[in-house]
Order: sequence, then structure tokens, then C-alpha cells
Amino acid sequence: MARLRGAALVLPGVTWLVLFFVVPLAIIFVVSLGQRGAFDRVDLSSPNFNNYARAFDPIFLPTFVNSLRYAAITTILSLAIGYPIAYWISRYGGRRKALLLILVMLPFWTSYLIRTYSWMIILRDNGVLNSLLQAVGLTHEPLILMNTDVSVILGMTYGFLPFAILPLFVSIDRLDSNLLAAGRDLYASGRAVFLHVTLPLTMPGVIAASLLTFIPAIGDFVTPDLLGGPQTTTIAKNIQELFLEGRDWPYGAALGFILMVVTLGGTLVALRTLRREVVGS
Amino acid sequence: MSERYDGSTIDLEKALVRYMVERQLSRRELLERIARVGSAAALAPIIAACTGASTPSPAASASAAPPSTGAGPTPSPSATPVPSPEAELFIFNWTDYLAEEVIESFEAKYKTKVTQSFFSNTEEAYAKLGTDGGGYDLSFPISVDVPTFIESGAIVKLDKSLLPNIKNLGTEWSDPGYDPGNAYSVPYMWWTTGVGYDSAKITDELTSSKALWDPRWAQHISMLDDFQEVFGLALIQLGYSANTDKAAELDEALVLLKQQKPLVRTYSTDTIATLTSGDVWIGHIWGADRFAIQEVNENVLYYIPEEGGVKGSDTVAVFSGAKHPIAAHLFIDHILDAENSAANTNLIYYMGPNAAAKEFIDPAILEDPTINPDQEIVDKLEELLNLAPALRDEYLKRWQELRG
Repeated sequence: MARLRGAALVLPGVTWLVLFFVVPLAIIFVVSLGQRGAFDRVDLSSPNFNNYARAFDPIFLPTFVNSLRYAAITTILSLAIGYPIAYWISRYGGRRKALLLILVMLPFWTSYLIRTYSWMIILRDNGVLNSLLQAVGLTHEPLILMNTDVSVILGMTYGFLPFAILPLFVSIDRLDSNLLAAGRDLYASGRAVFLHVTLPLTMPGVIAASLLTFIPAIGDFVTPDLLGGPQTTTIAKNIQELFLEGRDWPYGAALGFILMVVTLGGTLVALRTLRREVVGS
Repeated sequence: MSERYDGSTIDLEKALVRYMVERQLSRRELLERIARVGSAAALAPIIAACTGASTPSPAASASAAPPSTGAGPTPSPSATPVPSPEAELFIFNWTDYLAEEVIESFEAKYKTKVTQSFFSNTEEAYAKLGTDGGGYDLSFPISVDVPTFIESGAIVKLDKSLLPNIKNLGTEWSDPGYDPGNAYSVPYMWWTTGVGYDSAKITDELTSSKALWDPRWAQHISMLDDFQEVFGLALIQLGYSANTDKAAELDEALVLLKQQKPLVRTYSTDTIATLTSGDVWIGHIWGADRFAIQEVNENVLYYIPEEGGVKGSDTVAVFSGAKHPIAAHLFIDHILDAENSAANTNLIYYMGPNAAAKEFIDPAILEDPTINPDQEIVDKLEELLNLAPALRDEYLKRWQELRG
């Protein structure tokens, strides 16, 4: 009876996962086995893996490296900026903890697209930042900020930072402050306590934050497309072009599926090594 | 009895015209058929279609809708039937692409309610239109896509007897390559792709597309994020066709574009944003976007490169799933009217293919060589074609190599 009730409780979740994750994934996989037919429709009459062979084309290497690079830098920056914020809210937030967390999530009240457009207004040649720098006298010519690595990484870090702060906060907030006090009692410096007590104990939060940042970042299309320039093309842009401009859905689906498998595989490997290290230490 | 007869006459007349449109019959063919087999036999399928519940159109079933022709009690179907359009018409269109007054005059003239829905890019539009119009009667496919729409059966052959104003088209538009004889589509407006630049930042008077390769403006040059446009520009500059199928010419264009890439600030189709942001001083732009740009920065000038440029055109076509085909035909005829065509041009600053409209077009538009270029320039413009899939892959592969 209890088991039955349990099954009923997870049913919505499982249904959701199947409908919106497993089914689309299966559709992408099936489409990737087909080929482009008449009127650019998907032709599934003779399924094969040719699109996968095509997808390992060296022309996708630079864009894949770009995607990896942006995702990695965004993750590192989000952790570096997010950890102190989460730590501060947890330790010193006091009564205002809830309010501070709401402030972290506040940007989500505005569409991501609009917030990205505001970055364009801030970063462009006659934008807010350049005007400010020139008014103060720090620069005389506008700095080229838009359409560069800087604008892409800035935009992505800005966008993904809340995804890092929230799991970090949960993890840090659960940390027993007696353990930190014990560390200090045993003559550890503040730094040593952080490195040997705080950080290892909040590692699950760090891992969760990394995954929540890295995975969406590697597939991010909007930010590099809007804030980027000629040198910032990502693999997601290539996939979009294969679908819309090449009108070759099977080819695009194959490239998309590979990206998904690589991301998933990489995540699992990273998770295992990290967990072993955390548990081992 | 006589009352019933009146009602069915109205319905019959509408059904007759719809039947002709659906079967691509001209009035003369119908008359010939009547002469051959007798009116009862010739009209039988129409009467059946009219009385049967197979495809009731709102107009045919709504006896309240008055026929615009003021049909008498016993009109003979063999007399030239002025077509009675259906009571509704659904148009799927670009935003601000039809003058409000043109729609209003159509609604008043034919007592047909026009409902417009809008799209902002062709991918979105074509996805919704599908292969039958997706519930819309009329839309505005780009000319290069017309062959695909014809092949897939998405658009129907036009009944020219309902389009007397088609005579207003200029001769150069009467037999376009994408749709010989305008059998399925009618050209609506045409435009060019060229170069826009901020004359406050760039004081030279520019005429060539090579200006987009000028290192003096490094990091302030933009190109469209559209592989056919970008390769088209490079190919034309090299003296080749913008639609070349020769790999060597494409490779040459790729080399040229790779030389340009370090100077390029961004590949973007949002040129209204880039050219007004201060980031871009000179950009490869769709000619019509300059008006929106000039609203923000009046210093921006536009030119068609002396090497030649890319032109495009939109058509208007009736979709196969159209529930209001007569209204759709009449609407096309309405916008082919010289004054209506001019009203649209005066609103959107695109030249139409309508030769008769010229006398009603704002002289300022006619005198603008970037909107209404001399024949010598027009002859150098090339329309981008819908590339065969294998050739499109060749372009896209090089484009992705360039962008990588």
C-alpha cells in the first residue's frame, strides 16, 4: 500500500521526465539516423549512421573548442564569484538571508533576452561603460568590448551566476559552524580551516554548482550569438545553422546528439572522479 | 419557391466562381463546357458542391452576407459573373507591409473582413504555412522559394480571369524565372542588398563593396549573418555569379572573406542595432533596413555596390488550403491596382513591379537611386536562388569554415 502510494507520488515526475526529456531525446536520435529528403523533409526510409560520420568534421573543432572554453571559464568565474557571495549570505545574512536570496534570483524576473540586450547597451562603443570611462578620463578612445571574448564571457557569467550561488548557499548553510570553531580551537589559521574544513565539506555544493553552470553554458546559443563577434562562434550556432540554413535536420540532429552524449559522458566522468576525491579525502 | 430560388442563386454564383478557381477553369472554359455538354450537366458538380456539406465556406452558408454585385432575382450564370468573394480573408504577412488604406478599401469594396497575422522571418513563416497555408489564404513568399512551394503543392495556380490588373506589371516582371508567366505567384515588392555607412565616421564617398575590406575601418565593419548574402557579395565582387555552382569560385570567395574576417566586428542580421550602436561604421545591409537606421542616425547612407549587388523580391500567392480563394484572388488584384500599389510603396519605400503605379508614387522615392536605380544598375543586380541541397551544403560548409 505504502509502496503504491510512493509510486503514485513519483508518477508526475517520471511522466514529466519521459515526456520532456526521454521522448525528445529519442526523436532527435531517430531523426539523426535519417537523411534530408524532398523539400528538405526528414527521410527515414533507410536509417544509417552516415550523419555521425559527417559530424566528425574538423570544421566543427574550433567552434566546439569555443563552446568548451566559454563553458569552462564561465563555470570557474561563477564559482569564484558565487562562493564568497553564498558564504557571506549564509554566515552574515542573519535575518535578511531570505531577502538576499530573493535578490540573487531577482534578475530572473526579467527575460534573459532583455537582460542580454541591456549588456549590449552597456558594452557598445558609445555605450554606458565607454562613456563613463571617457568621462572619468581613463580612456580617450572607446574600448572595443562588444563582440569579443570579453563580452561573451561577461554575459554568460552574469547569466549563470545565480545557478552557482543557490546550490553553494545550500551547501554552505548546512555546514555546522561548530566544526569551524573546532578547527580554530586546534590552532588552524582561517585559511587552513577554509581549505581543510569548509571547502571539503561544501564540495557537494561546488560540484552541483559546476554542473548547473557548465551544462547549460556549453549549449548556450543566445549569449554568444548576441554579444559575440566573428571569433566567438559556438557549436550551438553550427547546429542551428544546419537546421535552419542548411535545412538538413538529420545532420543537425546528429551533431546535437553527439554534443549531448559528450556533455553527459564528461559530466559523469567528472562527477565520479570528484566524488572519489571528496569521499577519499 | 421563388424565395428559395433567389437564395440558391446567390449561393450558386459564389459556388460557381469558387469551383472555377479550384479547378483552374477560366470563364471561357466553363462556357465552352456548358455549350458542349449542356448547362445541367456542366453545373451539376457545382450545384452538388453548393448544396452538399462538403466544404461550406462562411460566405456560401451565410445568407445574411449580401452579394456585392446586387444580383437580381434571376441572373444567368452564363452572363459574366462578377465574383462574390467570401466574407473573410486571412493574410499572413510581414509587419507593416501593406498600407492600412489599401486593406480598408478592399474591405469596403468587397464586404470582406481581412485578418492579418504577422511573422518576422521566413523560417517562422514557412514553418507555419506548411504545405497548405496553415489556415491562411494569402501569404508573401520570397520569389526564390516559389518553386519549392509550387513543387510541394502549397500554392495554387492563379485564375488570371480574376486578376485583370496583372496587366499593370512591368514587362520585366511578366515572366520571371522562378515562376514562368506568373502562373502561381504575383511579384509584390523588390529590394536590394548593399552597403550602409555612417558618413559622420567615414567621409569618403563610397561606391564599391571593397570598402567592406578597408583596414581603416577595422573592427567597425559588419556583414550579414546569412551565408548566401555574404558569399553572394564576395562572388559578385570577384566578377562571378552570386549563385555559382563552381567549387573553385566558392573557394576564391572563401579566401576573400577570410581576409576580411579579422576586420569584421560582427556577422549580424540585426543591422538596425549594429549600425546605430556606434560599433559599426560600415555594414552589409538589407537596403530597406536603412530607413529604420536613418531614423536613429540620419548620417547613415546606403549604396548598391558598383560591382553589382543582390536583389530580392517578394511575391503574393494563394495557398492550397485557402478557404477563401476568391477573396484571395480579388485581394491580389486589388494590390495590383496602380494606386493601391503606389500606396504600399509610399508606405514601405520598396519599389513594386507595377509599371502603372509609377505616376502615383512619391517623386522623392522615384528619384532615390537606391530605391529606384537606373536600368544600368538594375541589370547588374542578381537574385539569390534557392540552391539545390547539395550546392547549399557546399556554401554552408565554407560558411561554417569561415565562421569557425
